[in-house]
Amino acid sequence: MTELKSRNFKRLYKKEIADQKLRENLRKATIQASGKRNDSFSEVDFVFLRDEAKKIKQESISHLNDLLSQFEDNAHENGCTVFYAESPEKANAYILDVARKHEIKKIVKSKSMVTEEIQLVPFLEKYGIETVETDLGEYIIQLAGETPSHITAPAIHKSRTEIARLLHEKIGIEQNDDPAFLTGEARRVLREKFLSAEMGISGANFLIAENGAVVVVENEGNARLSTSAVKVHVIVTGIEKVIPKFSDLRIFMRLLGRSATGQKLTSYVSLIRGPRKEKEKDGPEEVHIVLVDNGRSRLLGTDHQEVLHCIRCGACLNVCPVYRSIGGHAYGSVYPGPIGSLVTPLFFGPENAPDLPFASSLCGSCTEVCPVGIGIHHQLLSMRQEIKPGSKHGLESFVFRNFRKTMLRPGRYKLLTRLARVFSSTSIVRKILKGWTGYRDLPQLPSRSFREIYKSEGGKG
Amino acid sequence: MTDDREKILAAIRRSLRGTDKFDAARNPASPLTSMPQGDFESQFGKFKAELESLGGLAEALNSDADASEFIAEHTGPASSIFIYNEIANLHRSLVESLSESRHVRFGLEFPVGYDKRDAAAFDAAVTGCAACVAETGTVVIRTDMRLPAALAPKLFVVVDSGQLLASLDEFFTDSFGNTDASNLFLITGPSRTADIEKQLVKGVHGPKEIVVLFINQ
Ligand code: SF4
Repeated sequence: MTELKSRNFKRLYKKEIADQKLRENLRKATIQASGKRNDSFSEVDFVFLRDEAKKIKQESISHLNDLLSQFEDNAHENGCTVFYAESPEKANAYILDVARKHEIKKIVKSKSMVTEEIQLVPFLEKYGIETVETDLGEYIIQLAGETPSHITAPAIHKSRTEIARLLHEKIGIEQNDDPAFLTGEARRVLREKFLSAEMGISGANFLIAENGAVVVVENEGNARLSTSAVKVHVIVTGIEKVIPKFSDLRIFMRLLGRSATGQKLTSYVSLIRGPRKEKEKDGPEEVHIVLVDNGRSRLLGTDHQEVLHCIRCGACLNVCPVYRSIGGHAYGSVYPGPIGSLVTPLFFGPENAPDLPFASSLCGSCTEVCPVGIGIHHQLLSMRQEIKPGSKHGLESFVFRNFRKTMLRPGRYKLLTRLARVFSSTSIVRKILKGWTGYRDLPQLPSRSFREIYKSEGGKG
Repeated sequence: MTDDREKILAAIRRSLRGTDKFDAARNPASPLTSMPQGDFESQFGKFKAELESLGGLAEALNSDADASEFIAEHTGPASSIFIYNEIANLHRSLVESLSESRHVRFGLEFPVGYDKRDAAAFDAAVTGCAACVAETGTVVIRTDMRLPAALAPKLFVVVDSGQLLASLDEFFTDSFGNTDASNLFLITGPSRTADIEKQLVKGVHGPKEIVVLFINQ
């Protein structure tokens, strides 16, 4: 795999944070999304659902071997082909093989984080196979030649004016920034893609061990078409997506839509049980399920195992003060935000994302909203220790070491606070602290300390 | 191409060796804080409120003739309408009267492996369903042709009142999990997106309008 951008977090976030407009777009969108999420939980007991979901995920992961085998047997019985891939290269090569066997020239694709992780689209395009993203947000991003900046809202960083200009330039539609107009035009163009493509690629939100069903959740209807209006359907997903029972969906379905977009249930839930049956007149003739490991099995049995419980709802991104300020691209990874700061070093190696676990204020908002109860901020803290033992993070550890010494020695404390009062308003200090004062005022220190006032008023120092 | 099955399963076994197996006793209680009463009227009321809050439409009608009239009123005179087999079989009088005023075509006319462009030519599709869920305003469809219902801008779903379930707890059970169809779709409101500045737009790739007609048998 090529070197990941997530190595350059410090450079990337500085660029993004300086973009006022981006921050404004993000702030508005994420606040709206988390507000909707909160409202949508009024009719159900969030804690009940979260605790059940966590238990089921713990069970699923601790029995992963058996559940995968059970899923595989049932999927075979349903007529699907199951392929296990240890690496992105292996998964991509298999999918290319399937496409070539059927002489596929055009593919329609719906949203899947794992396909982003394995870089499937650029790989297929390299071999001359047109692969079109059909989720509106992903389509916009693909036309812009960018990568998604959010797990569930890939184009969250773009304004309507930017999108209107982009669609005008790339697909020649009239320049009009009304979202309904833009969506209608995209529907028209993509409809033709659906009607001419012969292969569809989708992800999977859940794999049901007991009946071999694949669950795909979405709002637009593009996944439904990508999995139905094609001869060959390829599902690409991670090995951790398997859960034991169909009835477990009563928990996950109530959590996923609410956490992601504040919907009681996502508009479309497709339960796919394999290729078309004898009496069915359409639907794919072949269904392939590609189960990707790519570092996941390494996490089992470690303190980070619970990261595999994630259902990719994106709620932790929407509430994260760091994500809200810097946006998804700053993380340099297909997985941004709090969960991305964990998953990126864990899947791709800590050397590829040494700073991401530090991209958090540890406020715990992420943990609070996580529908499967992942202790995200605790995980981030322990990752910091593993990546940089003793948290030798330059200036931060220098400051905390000296803060401790100062608080333990009253003489030193007095001297330093006196110096601070004298120098804090000088331009040289403001210059040193410009990273802070660029966005906020430095608090004014009073000219005399409490002790000095107390003494001068006749008290004993 | 040989896959990495054995390698991956062995790696999982190795990593999990010595760790505790976790078996979760499911709590069968409902997570819902309020649910409609068991009678049809209140459940239909909940279904209608949920679906209409999403921009769909739900009506309770007395007969096939009423349903036919309703569909005709909600489609233009020049509309072409696709009728699923199960509707043609179970609601014959609905279909007969609808075909007097609208151009209708039937699933029966389409061969196995038909050209998908033929399914994209309709203004509306009329289908039955496997179930409806009051809690969320959801219809569950399971058909022998996936495309007409997915491609038409308007979708009419004809339901017998006995098919209404109170909550998702009743849907996610073995009787639906063990279906032998290749597909089961839960549809909750019109197709939608908020990918442009979080502004909600209805009708992306799937139907823009969804109308659910309960017929009191
Ligand atoms: S970590 Fe939790 S909140 Fe974040 S995306 Fe995953 S499931 Fe959602």
